[in-house]
Amino acid sequence: MTRANAACKLRAALSPDWKRVAQRWAFAVVPAFGLLELVAHVVQTHSAPAAADWDAARAWVAGQAKADDLVAFAPRWADPIGREHFGPAVATLEREARPDETRFPRAFEVGIRGEHLAAFDGWKKSGVVRFGGVAVTTWENPAPAHVLDDLVSLLDPRRAHVSRGDADCPFAHAGAQSGNLGFGPTIPGDRFACGGGGFAGVSVVADLDYYPHRCIYAPPPGGPTPLRIRFDDVRFGHSLHGHHGLYVEAERNKVGAPVTITFKSGDSTLGSVVHRDGEGWKPFELDTSALAGQSAELRVEVTAPSGDRRQYCFEADTR
Amino acid sequence: MRSSPFRFPERVGWRDHVVGAGLASVYVAWLLATVSTVGVPRDEGIYFRAGSDYIRWWRMLLERGREALDRGAIDSCFGINHEHPSLMKTLFGASWYLLHEKWHVFADASTAYRLPGMLMAGVALWVTYLFGARAWSRRAGLVAALLFALMPQVFFHAHLACFDVPITAMWTLCVYVHWRAQERRSLGWAIATGIAYGLALDTKHNAWFLPFVLVPHALFVHRHAIARSLKAGRVAIPSSLVAMATIGPAVLLALWPYLWFDTMGRLQWWVEFHRHHEYYNIEFLGKNYFGPPSPKSYVPVMIAATVPAITLLLFLAGVLDRATAGAKRLAAWARGVVRSARRSPGGPSLDDALAREARAARDPRETDLLLALSFLVAVGPFFLAATPVFGGTKHWMPAYPVLALFAGRGFELVADAMRRALQPRDARGWLLAQAWLVAAVVVAPLAVTAHAHPFGLSAYTPLVGGTAGGADLGLNRQFWGYTTQNAAAEYLNDQAPRGATVFIHDTTWDAWARMQDEGRVRRDLRAAGTPGEAQYALVQHELHMNEVDYSIWVADGTDAPAYIVEHDGVPIVSIYKHP
Repeated sequence: MTRANAACKLRAALSPDWKRVAQRWAFAVVPAFGLLELVAHVVQTHSAPAAADWDAARAWVAGQAKADDLVAFAPRWADPIGREHFGPAVATLEREARPDETRFPRAFEVGIRGEHLAAFDGWKKSGVVRFGGVAVTTWENPAPAHVLDDLVSLLDPRRAHVSRGDADCPFAHAGAQSGNLGFGPTIPGDRFACGGGGFAGVSVVADLDYYPHRCIYAPPPGGPTPLRIRFDDVRFGHSLHGHHGLYVEAERNKVGAPVTITFKSGDSTLGSVVHRDGEGWKPFELDTSALAGQSAELRVEVTAPSGDRRQYCFEADTR
Repeated sequence: MRSSPFRFPERVGWRDHVVGAGLASVYVAWLLATVSTVGVPRDEGIYFRAGSDYIRWWRMLLERGREALDRGAIDSCFGINHEHPSLMKTLFGASWYLLHEKWHVFADASTAYRLPGMLMAGVALWVTYLFGARAWSRRAGLVAALLFALMPQVFFHAHLACFDVPITAMWTLCVYVHWRAQERRSLGWAIATGIAYGLALDTKHNAWFLPFVLVPHALFVHRHAIARSLKAGRVAIPSSLVAMATIGPAVLLALWPYLWFDTMGRLQWWVEFHRHHEYYNIEFLGKNYFGPPSPKSYVPVMIAATVPAITLLLFLAGVLDRATAGAKRLAAWARGVVRSARRSPGGPSLDDALAREARAARDPRETDLLLALSFLVAVGPFFLAATPVFGGTKHWMPAYPVLALFAGRGFELVADAMRRALQPRDARGWLLAQAWLVAAVVVAPLAVTAHAHPFGLSAYTPLVGGTAGGADLGLNRQFWGYTTQNAAAEYLNDQAPRGATVFIHDTTWDAWARMQDEGRVRRDLRAAGTPGEAQYALVQHELHMNEVDYSIWVADGTDAPAYIVEHDGVPIVSIYKHP
């Protein structure tokens, strides 16, 4: 078709007659829109993945994933369904409540509705397998961190000692203390219990954005007395990498005292970092090159001018 | 064209009340048929108890007379939940006492408590129909009433013994009666306005804002008379406004005995309570809001996500039509003022301009202005940064009948365009064509509303992708912890061993006990206040409730729910079983 022909046809199409017809039947847009909304409703209400799709994805991921791989669910709101179908053996607490993604060399992202997690934006996609409405995307971490020791895993009476000031906090097996909205992280059953109600134990904190993080729940007593945790035989690398934060309701109003965490080994102080309310799940990195390749004790001190609602939690690893 | 056998007289009259009552009856019947699947929300538990206490006082008044008028007697009955006025709770209590306790009409106490709220939804439909029929046409009124009824969140809240649908009904009734009072200009309608305003005041504090609708409207309607009287050195106030200012507060005081003592102090407390209301958590676009400033886009986004799109399209068509008419009128008035100014060097003749404007105005009731004010005043406070938005859409629900009325107007335009296009030859064919058009605009809202039940707070419209689309956008999933009943119906009642303990999360003890009394939750199950002391733990999913989820992971040693109540694949309640 030549340009002249096309222009001619367009002019004909836009002739007054055609316009009149279009104007006359324009009302039909409204009932058509109503019916389109109905069709959209029917499609949307029948688009949820079947349980069998989730189970098939679980079987495949369970066969592929190694212990140090990440398994994650997208979108975020589908996470409970992922945990329900994948179970605690695959959707482990360590994966679900991870401090960040840097330590995982590979991730299996189990997604629905074509959604992906922003955490994998810089990763390399190495494959997608679909199970009905569930897609499993495999991501390769371009620069995974090699973790030597994880302090959260070392918080064990065989490897760690806790004291409040000069008073020891013996390890205890008690019932977990949990509560409803506003209570804060569950105080774990296995914990180092200090006099006066202080403690240190592994729990899961909800950060400012309500993401879960498995961490050492170690509220500072307030004042000059620190909560001390000593870890024995920690393998050091070039850095001490970690995060710290407070339970969301304890820090979101930004009225609490700052919390300082100090890391020491031998006679040297590796560094101190301060968490101020409103900073959320805050990362930190300390240079430990001087200790790289050595195993030594690592002492942690947590202090705050006031202990009022300082539901503080931290995690760190050597790498 | 032959005349239709179904044609009503041109004048809106008793037949239209029959239509309004019919619409209301069908809606109330639908609500009653579906009410048992709606669990008991947190607030309802309190209102049930307050209703029983309030009706206890009325019974005391009837049985013991003066004794009931003592301050101690009044405070002991009306002291509970005195942050909200008494009308609806009194009706909840009366319905419970008469229809459940005394006459056994309803086996479930909760259904009896809830009936007045459902009837108020019916009243809202009835008035919306009448309003539309009188303002534009019966067809517009009918479509307006249907589109209002078929808003999923309206349908959800209409089941409850709460105040949001009742204030929607009272707000609409008050605006309607005021509008009629401006038209009829009789003492009877003026008094009716005062009474309606008093009832609205005694329903919920949204009514404090009604003067911002009614006063400017009445002053504008009567502007010529007011101007004339001012020139004559007199002040003329429309009688309906006088009635509102005098009868309204009197009705409030008469029906709320709690205000009979320390009246000013208690009124002041009521106002201060709501001026400084606590902020609760609410998720919006993936962020948890728990204090000021509230997001400015909250109202438009939530309306777009919860009101069916076809309703919104018709609303926009109706608003455009009325706005165009208003703009033309304004332009005509401005031209009149300019011409008057040119003719008289001493200044514009206001009388001339007003006279021209009066000629240009086709509607002496100023319906467009009234509806615009009613809509804007109902939603306006929720654009302010300091206004809490934790109630989702329910707090601006009084705007929805107006939204539906404009949609009715939009439908009227479409129907007229269809008539011009089809040029029907007989009344029967035209009636069928209209019926088809009504069905085409109503069928999607009907399907969406029916499907949303009983998860009316979780469901979103197809425009944003339905329930899953709402979750993608990070919109609120629910509040009030009422979905425990669904957890029981789908899992606990069948799976939990006898006497098992259940952490009931956001559900109140009152609500749990009520659901057990009525057999919605198995009676042998025992509620627990913390996850650690329970064999089963519930999490009603909301963003800020994630912390409870994580608490359960540590307390139970597992992060895998045993079962999830879902709506369209979106988690509503997770149920954990202690290993």
